[in-house]
Amino acid sequence: MPTDRNVKKQEIAVYAQTLIDNAGSDDEVFDLSGEIAEVVKAALASSQLRTSLADTSIAADDRVKICDAIFAGTGTSLMAVLEVMTERGDIDLLPRVAEAYDDMAERRLAATFVTVTTAVSLDDKLREKVSNKLASDFGTDIRLREIVDPSIIGGIIMSAHGKRIDASITSQLENARAVLSTTSTGGER
Amino acid sequence: MNRVAGKIGSVSLLATSTLFTVPGLAFAEEAEKSGVDLLIPSMAEFIPMVIAFIIMWVILAKFGYPMIEGMLDKRAKKIKDDLDAAEQAKIEGQRLLEEYRAQMEDAKKQASDIIADAKKTGETVRADLTTQAQAESEKMIEKARSAIEAEKKAAVADLQSSVADISVSVAGKVIGQDLSDDEHRRIIEKYVEQAGSLNAD
Repeated sequence: MPTDRNVKKQEIAVYAQTLIDNAGSDDEVFDLSGEIAEVVKAALASSQLRTSLADTSIAADDRVKICDAIFAGTGTSLMAVLEVMTERGDIDLLPRVAEAYDDMAERRLAATFVTVTTAVSLDDKLREKVSNKLASDFGTDIRLREIVDPSIIGGIIMSAHGKRIDASITSQLENARAVLSTTSTGGER
Repeated sequence: MNRVAGKIGSVSLLATSTLFTVPGLAFAEEAEKSGVDLLIPSMAEFIPMVIAFIIMWVILAKFGYPMIEGMLDKRAKKIKDDLDAAEQAKIEGQRLLEEYRAQMEDAKKQASDIIADAKKTGETVRADLTTQAQAESEKMIEKARSAIEAEKKAAVADLQSSVADISVSVAGKVIGQDLSDDEHRRIIEKYVEQAGSLNAD
């Protein structure tokens, strides 16, 4: 008799497989990974949103309407899956669906997806350098998901498979601030 | 005793009456004497007087002297007893005096000891109170110092944190504004070269 955990695992796999099956080409598979990541980020950012979409006391049609309103502009195939998940009250599974999708997508593309965040956009030379470094780390082809975020001030943040290297200036300034805040001045005692 | 006294009284009365009657006879004869004969007692008065004297002597020897002697013995015994009693009383008095003196000395000593103990206790209590007061005072001072030190550290930490926040904020703004895109990319390149493996365990 399947346990609830196994059922959920199977549901996650079905959602991820559906997404990858509907993605199309390799590039579209990779682009959809970024799109899913954006949706997950938006969903995680608001607990009220997650609660509303998972609240079964709200009619399923109403929840789907909320989902459509919030994720308007999302690709058709992703939106279709989101609507089904919302209708079934499975929107909390979205982060795990994203992980499962990335696993499947990486296997299909025989590459590792790495999210790279910088304050300015990468040029080709830098992109190649980053890709080569990561390829030597993982031993696979690398697909970079590039995000430009000026709030990191400078430097680079690289993340893949739940691991993260934060070499941003924001992070270094934060370290410096922590050191300055805790270091004794060595003055009067 | 009363009977003896009665007999003595009767005999004494007889002797006395004899003596009183004899001079009457003598005075009657004296009127007839003169010269040296006046100095020589006549037999008529001498013999009765001797008889009366002997009777008186016998009576006194028989009854008076023993009685007087008994009274004197009694008196002497009483005096001796009184003297003995007085001596005993004196000795007892001396003993009591010595005892009282000893008791007084003891009382004085006890009083002195009590005063000394009280003084000692007072000194001890005073010393204890002084020590306690000093300890409490030092404790309060130490507590106040700790509080001041904690407040000082908190203030320094707050100031340090504020300075750090401001410094970092200013540094971030300066870096963000002053760096060109190429400089950003050079920094990224440098960081990528220095970064460890993203696939490391």
